[in-house]
Amino acid sequence: MSLALPQQIEATSEPPAGDTSARALRRLRWLRTRNAVASLAAESRLRVAMVLFCSAVFWFGLFFFFLGSFQFIAFYVDLANTIIEYLFSLFFLSLLAMLLFSTGIIVHSSLFHSSEAAYLLTTPAAADRVFAHKFFEAMVFSSWGFFLLGSPLMVAYGLTVKAPPGYYALFLVYLLSFVVIPGGLGAIVAVVVANVFPRRRKTVLALSILAAAGILGYFGLRIWRTPGEALSGDWVGGILNRLAFCQHPLWPSKWMSAGLLAAAKGDWPSAGYYLMILSSHAGLAYLAAAVIARDLYRRGYSRTQGGRSRRKRGGFAFFDAAFHRTFFFLSRPMRLLILKDLRIFLRDPAQWSQFLIFFGLLGFYFVNIPRLGYGAQSPYWRNLVSFLNLSVTALILSTFTSRFIFPLLSLEGRNFWVLGLLPLRREQILWGKFAFSTGISLISTEFLVILSDLMLKMSPWMILLHVGMIAVLCLGLSGISVGLGARLPNLRESDPSKIAAGFGGTFNLLVSLVFIFTIVTALAVPCHLYFAGQDYPESARFILSREGLRFWLTVAVAASLAIGAAATIIPLRVGIKAFQRMEF
Amino acid sequence: MIELRGVCKSFGSKLAVDHLDLTVRPGELYAFLGPNGAGKTTTIKMICGLLRPSEGAVLVGGHPAESSEARRLLGYIPDQPFLYDKLTGREFLKFVVEMYGVPRSAGLDRIEELIDTFEMADFIDELCENYSQGMKQRVVFASALVHEPRVLVVDEPLVGLDPRSARIVKNMFVSMARGGAAVLMSIHLLAIAEELADTIGIIDHGRMLAVGSMADLRARAQANGSLEELFLKLTGGDALRTVSPVARARLETPS
Repeated sequence: MSLALPQQIEATSEPPAGDTSARALRRLRWLRTRNAVASLAAESRLRVAMVLFCSAVFWFGLFFFFLGSFQFIAFYVDLANTIIEYLFSLFFLSLLAMLLFSTGIIVHSSLFHSSEAAYLLTTPAAADRVFAHKFFEAMVFSSWGFFLLGSPLMVAYGLTVKAPPGYYALFLVYLLSFVVIPGGLGAIVAVVVANVFPRRRKTVLALSILAAAGILGYFGLRIWRTPGEALSGDWVGGILNRLAFCQHPLWPSKWMSAGLLAAAKGDWPSAGYYLMILSSHAGLAYLAAAVIARDLYRRGYSRTQGGRSRRKRGGFAFFDAAFHRTFFFLSRPMRLLILKDLRIFLRDPAQWSQFLIFFGLLGFYFVNIPRLGYGAQSPYWRNLVSFLNLSVTALILSTFTSRFIFPLLSLEGRNFWVLGLLPLRREQILWGKFAFSTGISLISTEFLVILSDLMLKMSPWMILLHVGMIAVLCLGLSGISVGLGARLPNLRESDPSKIAAGFGGTFNLLVSLVFIFTIVTALAVPCHLYFAGQDYPESARFILSREGLRFWLTVAVAASLAIGAAATIIPLRVGIKAFQRMEF
Repeated sequence: MIELRGVCKSFGSKLAVDHLDLTVRPGELYAFLGPNGAGKTTTIKMICGLLRPSEGAVLVGGHPAESSEARRLLGYIPDQPFLYDKLTGREFLKFVVEMYGVPRSAGLDRIEELIDTFEMADFIDELCENYSQGMKQRVVFASALVHEPRVLVVDEPLVGLDPRSARIVKNMFVSMARGGAAVLMSIHLLAIAEELADTIGIIDHGRMLAVGSMADLRARAQANGSLEELFLKLTGGDALRTVSPVARARLETPS
């Protein structure tokens, strides 16, 4: 056998020029979109109509909210002044950070962990072509929410300040240019992380979230600690001083806000100037990402692939035994199912780290309530803040149930037959997931709500009311997520974030939000009216007396229990029926 | 055509491929055998340019495996084939033709020829998401062959194929090799390897244990049996434990 260097062989086909593979990939995107739309229109009209309807409701809801807010602010200050520029800068800076994270995560996953990327890397397409193709998809996936959030804001502002028609066309160009900057930076981070920490993706993500939460907490605390009487001139000045960082001339958010305000005023030279700065930086961000991908993508791909973890797992025997003893009243199969989900949950830092950080931040805020002086405020304010705290806890819980509990059944995916063939009734599988979700939710939220109420020096009756409320919310949100997760599963997708971001996940989140809003409103309104009357005795008789509070609160508690039971039982029944009909 | 010289690939502390030499010449059908976790797929991924060797050189047609020249010569069928759910089989094949820079009319003729060869006319214009495993496998084969590669690398080629399709694929491998292409086939079905391969390479723990024709391997192992017996002998698995002693005792205890 000869070991001499073999002669180089020329391929029979023509070498594809860069634009040939680019054209093929463009055509691929077009064909996939066209076919997807055609099959949606043919097979899932109701689903499409629902998505469009929900998007329209969301868009118009935001639009009227922003319009009302701008009109309210315009009543007191000139909308073209500094405060609006500060608000816009802060808004776009927050979105910049969020887009940086979301695009970075999506680009990393689609470049290094998708079967399409593996396929494309075996074709003659250059690495930067494959990168461009996946970057485009990631940008669409990560920034559609930005357009849904940003466009009603811009339209509402334009209508309030009577902006010229050119403004409405220009703000879309601004939004498009803006999203490329965090997208490009996120992509650079993704490629670098794959090269430098190929096996530490989850650790890097958890540390980044922790760092972001720390920065957010730091600035949040600084703003909370602004001296002076709330809404006084000094206080507003202090707030603006503390927000000065978002007005730094090197932030893209600053170029965005200054340019949009100039466009709204019809100051086209300034608007054009800022647009040029923004678009040239967007081009630079993309170019830098493409160059880095050209040189490092294949290397990074190679580093992230292969090699199974050799870490031995174990050490759960004591925990398992304690769990079986504590929950002896549940059937053994159900306990085993809960333990399985719990083990998966604990072994995925992406799940518990987000949970821990958000609830940790809330806990940090609640512990600091005495410093913020709410405890010394009137009962009216303490009641208001306690309900707001409870609402925030429930809202974070709903994102947790939508992001992690809803996809649980979908994630069983192709292994669904394992669950289906287990020697137990199928409904027990759903009850197991429901118990798992409710258990985790109750433990975390009850602790937070009690902490908040103790810090606010609420009365024992109010603490009891809030404890009951959050229990109803935990049961309802778990029932909704498990039930809808079984009714609207996505068995083809293995990425939980994509399952949560799909139709079923979005619908689940919307139902959860409506449920929270209903329960909180039903109980908060009588309390609010009663305590408002306490602060203003002259108007108390027009509002709610103690007897009135007792009556309406009884009605509200009964209604909440009924709604909570419905929200728990109906989705679970629907889910159980669908799960029992499911064929494997 | 395919040349691996002293190739090592490590994942952290684990050495998946250990100083591997492998050559597949033009016109040769090479069966690449080994137990699970032996390093076959890692080697194949290095040949396709998806993984970089930690040491050594991987050449395809004389070009480094990572180069676009090497990839243009190569047709690769992975163990878990990829298709776009929202494309039809024909649209996917046209996409591949364009990606490889095959002239349009020649590409379209080739697509028709492969549709006919793999008997795909009934389903080729349906979306791939509706295909069975065997249909998908046939489209993937067609996509790997549509640009007439000089080097074909196949990982577990017959999974999911019915006997008729399997026969078509086997004939295709042989005719490609006879036509001058280098075909590297990783396979667990030893009878197929014995039937088709000109050269057989057996790898275990990342090292090449034996390479040669069936006769060479028999001579080396000093045995006259089937490839299965040779394989088990070379990979140290000749003392097979079909039933564990505990299970045997339980089975033999009258209830």
